[in-house]
Amino acid sequence: MQKKVKEPIRKPWIWITMGLLVLFNAPWYLPVGSMEPYILGVPYWVLISTVLSLVLCGFLSWLCLHEWDIVEDLEEEGRERSGNK
Amino acid sequence: MNLTFSGADGIIILVVYAVIMLVVGYLAGRGKKLNESLNDYYLAGKNLGIIALFFTLYATQYSGNTVVGYAPNAYREGFSWLQSIPFMTIIVGVYLMFAPRLYAISKRANFITPTDWVTYRFRNKAVTILAIILMLWGLGNYLLEQLVAIGQAASGLTGGTIPYEYAVIGFVFVMLTYEWLGGMKAVAFTDVMQGIVLMVGIIVLLIGALTLTGGGISSLTSDIATTAPEKIGVPDSITSVNWLSMILLVGFGAAIYPHAVQRIYSSQSERTLKRSLSRIALMPPITTGFVLIIGIIGIQLFPDLDTAASEQLVGLMANEVAAINGFYYWMMVILFGGIVAAIVSTADSALLSFSSMVSNDIYGKYINPDAPEKKKVKVGKFAGIGVIALLLWIAWNPPGTLYQIFVLKFELLVQVFPAFVLGLYWKRLAAVPVFWGMLTGAIIAAAMTLTGNSTLLGVHGGVIGLAANFFICTVGSLLIPASQAKQDEAEERSSMKLEEIKYNEKTGSLG
Repeated sequence: MQKKVKEPIRKPWIWITMGLLVLFNAPWYLPVGSMEPYILGVPYWVLISTVLSLVLCGFLSWLCLHEWDIVEDLEEEGRERSGNK
Repeated sequence: MNLTFSGADGIIILVVYAVIMLVVGYLAGRGKKLNESLNDYYLAGKNLGIIALFFTLYATQYSGNTVVGYAPNAYREGFSWLQSIPFMTIIVGVYLMFAPRLYAISKRANFITPTDWVTYRFRNKAVTILAIILMLWGLGNYLLEQLVAIGQAASGLTGGTIPYEYAVIGFVFVMLTYEWLGGMKAVAFTDVMQGIVLMVGIIVLLIGALTLTGGGISSLTSDIATTAPEKIGVPDSITSVNWLSMILLVGFGAAIYPHAVQRIYSSQSERTLKRSLSRIALMPPITTGFVLIIGIIGIQLFPDLDTAASEQLVGLMANEVAAINGFYYWMMVILFGGIVAAIVSTADSALLSFSSMVSNDIYGKYINPDAPEKKKVKVGKFAGIGVIALLLWIAWNPPGTLYQIFVLKFELLVQVFPAFVLGLYWKRLAAVPVFWGMLTGAIIAAAMTLTGNSTLLGVHGGVIGLAANFFICTVGSLLIPASQAKQDEAEERSSMKLEEIKYNEKTGSLG
């Protein structure tokens, strides 16, 4: 029985989120040359970019596991059937 | 780079690495008839498991340059080099645009090279040949860069005891031998060792650098704010635009590298592929992120290096770290060996991919389509040796003013992207506009680079070429659409046809 296929390209919210995370990753929207306040020992903008980068990593990692499911069931079932683990 | 901490010990570690690579290559190919099938030799029988696939993706994306080249970038540009984290991460995002569907189609249609998909989708000789030229050119230059880097790193590690040329020839010999013996399997298995060494080396170098600074992160940043405020303040808008452009260029370019695409084909299963990519997405912070911190620490430890001197930053730092105690000494020797190994691991993937395209695309499609697979594999193997010989000759006899044409890599490769990815989802995409889009994009990118204007207002020539390419492909296909018959054909080929896919219990794959 075919489960519902999940293909990332078909979901606009994925690409909008990814686009926004990339767009705001570079600090073009902050005043040039500014560095204060310092948070955790680094300028505020460094922290913002770092956090956005980490969110991007986590988001993409999560997408791979949860929004991509095309032939997995078919393959895994077949593998089990043939004992070819 | 002359490292005073090394020499004889460096030679020992390089020899150890070389022997391990040869043994792994031998074991990977032993007792198997890899040479009789393109699938077995170039794609490890499409049966790579999660560990091998993860490390081969890692070793392909991260090279020795990630350490030796990126730390100086961080040193010169300061915190704006934070961009190295997202531009490596986004590669996975670009994979998500096409890998899920391409994986399913590749298993059904038994693809060997990226060109196979382009041929299968467009059935157009001009598009196929242009795609082959762009990919081989980009890949060849990428390989050239890696070969030069092997020599520099190895001669640097041994303090010049092993001269540059001998280092290159020695490692090229090792690489060709294990690749000859074990094909993709050898490449992927050696990548496991090479990847682990690189990861460990980066972490130890970071710990050593943090030890050298003594103070915490606050004293580091306040020190930089006084001595080099431009490296710690919000960068100017050109730098920010360039940062975004870099994310686009590397993301689209690195995901479409022929060897990157072939790793999709090589995966044992969809589950293995998505789990590997899911982990790859988490690697940039602990790879390029750590290298960024190493470069930033360099600003405090070695202020006022000019551009040329800053290129030696990792060597300078490794010397200092090695002087801390015996443990750090040996870890730095291992790190530098690891850098050489990481460059070899990137070069071997590119070389294997190059051979496969000669075997399957040029020889197999146009010269002798009826040749048995064994013969095609053999042609690819010899072509690999041929291209290495040619690249070494170019490296040692740089052709003066035209040297710039050997710099073009991402800029050209990325132009295959619209054909490759739009073709998966849009049946109206027609061959003629794809051809002209690809050609125009490549010419724009090449012309900008060759005339010394690699960026325009911070945007890379490759990205501008890609935008023109997308525009021509889409507008052209809307204005002069392919015939209905061709569109139906394209739809049929790019559909996943799940209802027809069956698991083949004999081969353990889909068919």
